[in-house]
Amino acid sequence: MACTAELPTYLELLLLTLCTSAVWCNAGTAGVQGAVRHVVLTCSSRCRTMEVLRDSNPHEEDDGGGWDSRSSSYTDCSSCSSDLEPEWLERVERNGELFYLELSEGEEETILPLNPGVNHVRFCENVAEVISENAKKNKNEPRFKKLAKILRNKHNRKKGSSRRNGPMGPTSILKHQPSPKTGMHVHQQFKDICLYVNPNRLLDTAPYENLCLLQRLIGIVHQSSKNSKRLEKQGGPDAPHRRSTPEKLVVHGFIPDSPSIRCGQILIGDALLAVNDVEVNTENIERVLSCIPGPMQVKLTFETTVFDAQIPSPNMNSVPQPPMSNMTKLIWGEEHTNHQQILQDMPHIVMYLTLKLDSDTSKEEQEILYQYPVSEASQKLKSIRGLFLTLSDMLQNVTGGCIVSTSLILNKKLVHVSYWKESDHLFLISLPAERISLLHLKNMTADVVRTLKFMYKSLHRAFCQAENVPRLDHFFSLFFQRTVRLSILRTNTSQGPEFYDACSSHLIDNLPGVRWLSLPEDIKTEIDTILSDLEALDFAELSEDYYEMRRLYMILGTCLFYKGYLLANHLPKEDLIDVALYCRHYYLLSLASERIGQLVVWREVYPYYHLEKPGSLSRDEYDQPEARYFILIVGLKHLMMCTLLEAGGCTSKAVGNPGPDYIYVDQLKACLLQLEMLDMSIEERLNASPIPCLSCADWFLPSSRDKFHSVVNSVMMNKLPTPKKANQTLSRKTLIPESQTSLRIRRSSPTRSSGGSDNGSEGLGESTGVGFHSISDMTRKVGRRESQGSGGSEGSGGSGSALKISKKKYSLPNPFNLGSLRRNLSEREAEDLYNTVKLTSGSENTLFHYMYLETVQGVFISPTHREVEDLSGAIHPQLIKNFHRCCLSIRSVFQQTVTEETRSNPASDVCRDFAGLCPVKEHGVLFECSPENWTDQKKSPPKMSYWVIGRLFLQPRPQELYVCFHDSVTEVAVELAFKLSFGMPL
Amino acid sequence: MEETSVFLLCLTASSGVPLYCRSKGSSRQLPFSVIGSLNGVHMFANNQDVLLTSVRTENSRVVWRSFHDSINLIVMSCENTASDLSLNKLLENVFSAMVLVIGLDDLINIKNVERLKKDLRGCYKLIDGFLTESEKMADLTQCVDCVIAPDVAILQECLDGFTQAAESDFGCLMAGGKVVAATNKWWRLASQDVMLLCWLVASLSPHSSRDYPVYLPQGSPTVPHRLLTFQLVPGVDVCVLCGPSPSLQKVESELVERFWKPLVDPLKACLRVQQRSFPASVQLHHGILGLLLVNRDLNKSLYSVQVHPMEDMQRTELKLTLEQRRVTLRSFYTLVLSRYFNRDNIDGKNIPYMETFAEGFSHHAHQCYTVSSSHKCYAVKNELHLLFLVFKPEVPTFSMQTIANKTLQVFTKDCSF
Repeated sequence: MACTAELPTYLELLLLTLCTSAVWCNAGTAGVQGAVRHVVLTCSSRCRTMEVLRDSNPHEEDDGGGWDSRSSSYTDCSSCSSDLEPEWLERVERNGELFYLELSEGEEETILPLNPGVNHVRFCENVAEVISENAKKNKNEPRFKKLAKILRNKHNRKKGSSRRNGPMGPTSILKHQPSPKTGMHVHQQFKDICLYVNPNRLLDTAPYENLCLLQRLIGIVHQSSKNSKRLEKQGGPDAPHRRSTPEKLVVHGFIPDSPSIRCGQILIGDALLAVNDVEVNTENIERVLSCIPGPMQVKLTFETTVFDAQIPSPNMNSVPQPPMSNMTKLIWGEEHTNHQQILQDMPHIVMYLTLKLDSDTSKEEQEILYQYPVSEASQKLKSIRGLFLTLSDMLQNVTGGCIVSTSLILNKKLVHVSYWKESDHLFLISLPAERISLLHLKNMTADVVRTLKFMYKSLHRAFCQAENVPRLDHFFSLFFQRTVRLSILRTNTSQGPEFYDACSSHLIDNLPGVRWLSLPEDIKTEIDTILSDLEALDFAELSEDYYEMRRLYMILGTCLFYKGYLLANHLPKEDLIDVALYCRHYYLLSLASERIGQLVVWREVYPYYHLEKPGSLSRDEYDQPEARYFILIVGLKHLMMCTLLEAGGCTSKAVGNPGPDYIYVDQLKACLLQLEMLDMSIEERLNASPIPCLSCADWFLPSSRDKFHSVVNSVMMNKLPTPKKANQTLSRKTLIPESQTSLRIRRSSPTRSSGGSDNGSEGLGESTGVGFHSISDMTRKVGRRESQGSGGSEGSGGSGSALKISKKKYSLPNPFNLGSLRRNLSEREAEDLYNTVKLTSGSENTLFHYMYLETVQGVFISPTHREVEDLSGAIHPQLIKNFHRCCLSIRSVFQQTVTEETRSNPASDVCRDFAGLCPVKEHGVLFECSPENWTDQKKSPPKMSYWVIGRLFLQPRPQELYVCFHDSVTEVAVELAFKLSFGMPL
Repeated sequence: MEETSVFLLCLTASSGVPLYCRSKGSSRQLPFSVIGSLNGVHMFANNQDVLLTSVRTENSRVVWRSFHDSINLIVMSCENTASDLSLNKLLENVFSAMVLVIGLDDLINIKNVERLKKDLRGCYKLIDGFLTESEKMADLTQCVDCVIAPDVAILQECLDGFTQAAESDFGCLMAGGKVVAATNKWWRLASQDVMLLCWLVASLSPHSSRDYPVYLPQGSPTVPHRLLTFQLVPGVDVCVLCGPSPSLQKVESELVERFWKPLVDPLKACLRVQQRSFPASVQLHHGILGLLLVNRDLNKSLYSVQVHPMEDMQRTELKLTLEQRRVTLRSFYTLVLSRYFNRDNIDGKNIPYMETFAEGFSHHAHQCYTVSSSHKCYAVKNELHLLFLVFKPEVPTFSMQTIANKTLQVFTKDCSF
């Protein structure tokens, strides 16, 4: 706050609070972050050369029985105490990736059983498993019911699903049949499958306790010819099993939720030949299996009769629709089916095409390397792929520019296609114009490409590796569903955070920044300290001395999200944006705004910033090491922490596909638990009155009910003594109870409050003669009076200082700067009074909405969901929607400016021949609205005008500011405000 | 390919035979293979029941339009000021120009391609006008360019009398391709017809009198009317749209002299304001560089980039030449119209060829501005008018709204435009 006081201005400036909040939270950051960077750097440069071998390196130890320990370090540490093994462990996929999501207990308790016969799907990255739940549905289930239901503790799930699993088992398997994964080798008729088994988690619940180890541990049902009764239950009559000698272990069925069914590569009819290269048959299988000491990877060798298990997946036509990702279903519940329905009829497609055609092989559709979805609606778009290829090729030859977009009319509807061309390959996304505007689609395409590169290093790697196909299907299914969902939400006139999200997604989805929540300095420092401690990796098991070996990973940086807001970031900007985009595409940010019990995400990533080698690297510059990078995201309740890990460099090299490391996950979790202590203060910050104050558009439109309010209010105000500096404190005190009651009214029905009378008396009112107020009207009035009082006293001196003395700590010289009090007037009331800052000029707050993008840090600030919700009105949501849509357009103009600036940089001629409008630095649009359902026939509806203005600052670093305010603001103030934002020391 | 080149292709839809190819800003023609593939992709899509409308690359745009399933027009523009809106307008104008000259029937039922090609040569000048026009804005706004003459009342009175005497309701007085005065009925013609007639007269080589058959693309695309034009003084023409009678000789010999002889001086005065479009008596803010005012009711527009009569061209040339002002104004108009201001005349049955971004706003936009280092732009929309202004960069941003409103006041109240 001290910084605020230093700002030497007597004018009310639109941006002041953005500055103050920035100053407020950043004073601490700069120092802390500097320190953190220092720590990280010293870590990386330290690079001790310890010649200690990592024990149990998976590949070196392979000979000894071929135990592929999935995550070496956890086995070291936890094999002794395997009962503490984390729940997510068995979700780790073959390539080391993990996506584990669990709801909090609180959520689970509220969940009621679901309909019988409904299939639910547990989600882990790309593997979907069908589980039937025998339950009833409840009308008022929370949105996460299904997710929670499915992620219920293991015990329940097994019980529930065991009853009906007979018919379900094979379905799941067949689904996975066409999309084989890596690591499956077909040697003539044999295939090796690596399974993770855990003897400590034997299925010893009711129906299983008497089964043999083969069933309980691996989950394979072998039906010896003696008791064929079980066969019917498990395998089903249509299972293509083959009679074999009693010695052979033929797979007749699967135990639900067992490792074998999860891997999806074992087929009914396969015969198990060996376990870890030990030959097995019905005689010795139990003995062999009982030798497995603890949770580990076992290699199972099968003889298979199905030979086409490794059909290359581009042959998509024969493949049934890949299993729809079910994450969306889990998150959105009932709406999900609605989206599915819309998607079914909506022409949309994603394709990755190659321009390089092999003329020898005249295979059908060989130019399609990837496509999603394979549906009726997308068929048409697929059939004109030749058009996309021809256009991109021809136009590049003729004009020398890459193709950007195409519009076409399909079934009388405009459909946009957005391209991304890289060398010989063409990536394109197509969506109807009614769902997404072309501007937005172009941005989205760029983001999708960036995320895919982050996940798979290059587009080509992403699309051309067969095992990625189901992952990509999932990714794009999420993408399309999200697009549809947002467009539906946008057209609704509903309110609430979802609507705000949907509206703002126009703009913020594509910003090179993350929504940032400014925090009080002390909390900020605390968070930064905790994160720095974590990043130093200097605690017990992770210190290099502990095991006398090199640590596995170095933490490049972390960022912390709370309910989708960025609280702290120790990542370089580019990495932060990569991480944020990844989270956005997988809904992690919106998930975190709900309550998640536990979230663990682990995968290898390819951050552009680290992998892209700068062309000319000077000697003293830090050279990025040859390293591999992993992202570890751990979420707990509202908090989510994303960590970027580096293997290689100064740490030991990563070999194979390492899974998430137990210790690192635990440390992050511990860190989150520690941070959870701050939950209250963060929540308090979220609930605090907005900084800067916002007004609701509806308050500017008089309506009959408001008149009553205004009368009451003005009467009340008139009764008060005229604001003299001496009795201000007194007058505020007397107001407290009243203000609280009036606040309650306000909360329930936010309406325009008046202030006409006092405005007139003070001569500071607007020319309109009507006064408007922000969120907390009565209390704000007092605040305003004070501010005006002090403003008036500036000239005469004396009395003004009296006020200052009474608030020594927060002597604000800016008379217009004070906005309001806040809801709960505690003993910190005085403090709170000054925490709320009004940006706009005039006696009324006219700021509706704002968005400030800072590209150095990669963050943006805009009102929080809570702040927007508090302003709920009839027109305000519309205004917010328009604001974001307009900003999308304004920003597209700015982007043109930026590209033009960079292009013309070498020949930086002041009088450069410009064409058209560029370079635009500021762009504003005035909108006019009137209340809906205007019933008064005699009078024309009142009108309210508001500006949406965007401003681009190119120097010193690109920054963008978008504001929305009432027309009554004199533009001088706007001009000054924009100027002032230069001083924003974010 | 050069940065300013524009190629316009016209082909028959059924066979893909090129009818003509006009270009601007490029020394060489588009290779035939490119023409073939541009038409080919469109036909391919058509066969799949997909209508290809536009493509953007980093530095160019291509727009396809098919008219009456008989004529395909393709435009490829490398100008970076090009937009979907302007290119679509261009194609509509070009097709209407073709209709104006040879009638819709001959374009729909193509019997002899060679004959059609020959016929189409008649409208090359008009079409080239749309590609290269630098004096007028009506191709974009679809509202005919006007000038405000000093003695417009006398001219109007005379024109009304002259038209009546020529047994017609449709008469128009033009100076340098811009309308000085027109009869009420003339203003009630479809805005595109008015615009095209005006452009047609401007594109034809000067003649003392002319009897020209025209099809009105909106009003009567299949039945030709006679357009009689008479040069009153060089650069000023009067035209009348009429049926079979009266004959050209009759009007020329009997009426022109009688009505217009006394008004030679006011007619000559029209030429003086032609560049600026309005008389020197109209004082505008010194910061205004360019102006475009559109009357949305009568579909007429006023356009000028030489707002100040005695402008010191020596000094300002450095900053912003007239051509640049024009380009700026056009780009700004396109931006505002395609993004923010709702177009009024959108009938639901037409398939939208372009995305209507403005439709997505739940409130109506009324004003808009941009600020860049070389100029500032401001747009105002009210019930009757659209006003677009280009300002010097020195003009404070906050004053633009006031200046714009005052300017609007000047033209609507004082000049009753």
